Amino acid sequence: MAVFRETYYIYLRNLRVWLMPATFLPPLFISGVLYVLFAATFTEVTQLGGFSTGDYDAFLVAWIIVQAVVFSGGDSGFALLTDVMSGYFEKLLLAPINRFSILFGSLLVSGTRAMFQGVVIVVIALALGVTFKTGVLGVLALLGFAAVFGLAWACLSIIIALKTKNAQATQSSFVLFFPFVFLTTAFMPEDLLSGWFRIAVKANPVTYVTEAMRAIVVEGWEMGVILTGLWVTVAMVSVLMIVTTWLYRRVTV
Amino acid sequence: MANSNVIIQVEDLVKVYPGGTRAVNEVNFSVEQGEFFGFLGPNGAGKSTTMKILGTLLGRTSGLAMVGGYDVTRNPKEVRRTIGFAMQEVGLDDLATGWDFLVMQGLLYGMSRREAKARTEELLELVALTDVAKRKVGAYSGGMRRRIDLAAALVHRPAVLFLDEPTTGLDPQSRLAIWEHLEQLNREGITIFLTTQMMEEADHLCERIAIIDRGEIVAEGKPAELKSEVGDDLVVLTVAGEDEAERHGQAERALELLTPLEYVDEAFATDGSVSVSVKDGGAAIPSLLQALGREDIAIVNLSLTRPTLDDVFLKHTGRTIREEEAGGDEFNRVMGQWMGVSRR
Repeated sequence: MAVFRETYYIYLRNLRVWLMPATFLPPLFISGVLYVLFAATFTEVTQLGGFSTGDYDAFLVAWIIVQAVVFSGGDSGFALLTDVMSGYFEKLLLAPINRFSILFGSLLVSGTRAMFQGVVIVVIALALGVTFKTGVLGVLALLGFAAVFGLAWACLSIIIALKTKNAQATQSSFVLFFPFVFLTTAFMPEDLLSGWFRIAVKANPVTYVTEAMRAIVVEGWEMGVILTGLWVTVAMVSVLMIVTTWLYRRVTV
Repeated sequence: MANSNVIIQVEDLVKVYPGGTRAVNEVNFSVEQGEFFGFLGPNGAGKSTTMKILGTLLGRTSGLAMVGGYDVTRNPKEVRRTIGFAMQEVGLDDLATGWDFLVMQGLLYGMSRREAKARTEELLELVALTDVAKRKVGAYSGGMRRRIDLAAALVHRPAVLFLDEPTTGLDPQSRLAIWEHLEQLNREGITIFLTTQMMEEADHLCERIAIIDRGEIVAEGKPAELKSEVGDDLVVLTVAGEDEAERHGQAERALELLTPLEYVDEAFATDGSVSVSVKDGGAAIPSLLQALGREDIAIVNLSLTRPTLDDVFLKHTGRTIREEEAGGDEFNRVMGQWMGVSRR
């Protein structure tokens, strides 16, 4: 199928754009710093009880991956608009290719990016002495989660890009997703939360994804938690993908 | 199609942008295979819009637009295979090297990696960029960028080449280099459709031109024919006056006075001057001056020119063509084109 071939070439090209050190290093650095700082700050907090593990470094892994994936989601929309501005997007539209290969080529890069961030954070975790309950298979599942979840946020940023048509706005709008990242069981298990915060955390889909990924790291194959997180992820990706595709169809001739 | 040699056919083409701007208004023209055709007009005349419709980048409101026998809306992929398209805002991948950029173009047009590499080598040679092939496109000069863009448009050996203001903003030397490339390509049989706001460029390159103004074609033909229609010679007389209003009035008076003269084919006034077309300018000047002198219309400047395409434009639109900078917010303009938002 020509569309796969075309998508692949555009994917390779976008990968090359992303792999500029100035583009891909800073987010990784920030994630690493966040991880080490939060781990050092809260290291004794597990003594409060109610944690599924006594190792706070292990408890944090899932959320560190989640925040990395959410906050770098904005890059996809930004990259697309950069190509629009430079005229390269139009050049791609002029080629006798399926126009959706341009969209899918850039979404695939965001999946790859999320997975890559996952790998780096897992490596840091291993260096900190974290043991993964589910072993190698668990790590692969974790990376799979990161990739699909990353796709959802990339779709969201492309939707914002197509709607605002402004590269700066697209990148800075991701500040709006701060609540989604922090209104989760980021630092404490749900039982230790209370009041409005607990309600907000329960209403936030990101919580369920974080919980599923955390279960894989610290608890084992807890299928109840993992499947809930999986459905939430799949639902998010499906809805956002449909909206993205529809909008994209509308703005390209 | 009536004529089997016709490669671009446009009939009653209309483009109305969502904001209501009528950028192209019932435009008709056709281009034959192997022709070097120029589309002339000032900024916002509808050149780029027409070209983008022909290049499948923009939808039309109504009318017919065919390239290579294919309808641009119904068979966009076939049209894209038939055409090469080099844009005014050169669409380059600044982070790629010249080499990678062209190979990618080849791949997108369905070539194998080997074919794409061989073609890239050929094209770099053609546009004299072999030496800088491994450098990033972002570091290229203005002239080099136009040349690599031209090479990219040629990757798949298109039958028709669309060029949107290919030399705007270039220094004279780079401009000449591009002109030579284009003439060479046309000699090799490629049909070239070029838009420009430089009359000199159209005159130099094009076998046939159409002048578009405010969305409508106001003149079409061979440059030599169009120029001879303006009059063999053109005498431009600038009138004296204290201020703009007076100069305007004097020019109008002069126009009334000179138009009925037997040897004056045509006359028109603009911006405080009168342009008079006569068969023999040298012989006409003394009697023109006498006629104005009798009515006390003072002349501060006089020039005699053979007609140029500028005069053709002036005749058909009543205005001179100006190279205005594409003002406004560049970003909105680019986005507007892409998103189909109101723009002229």
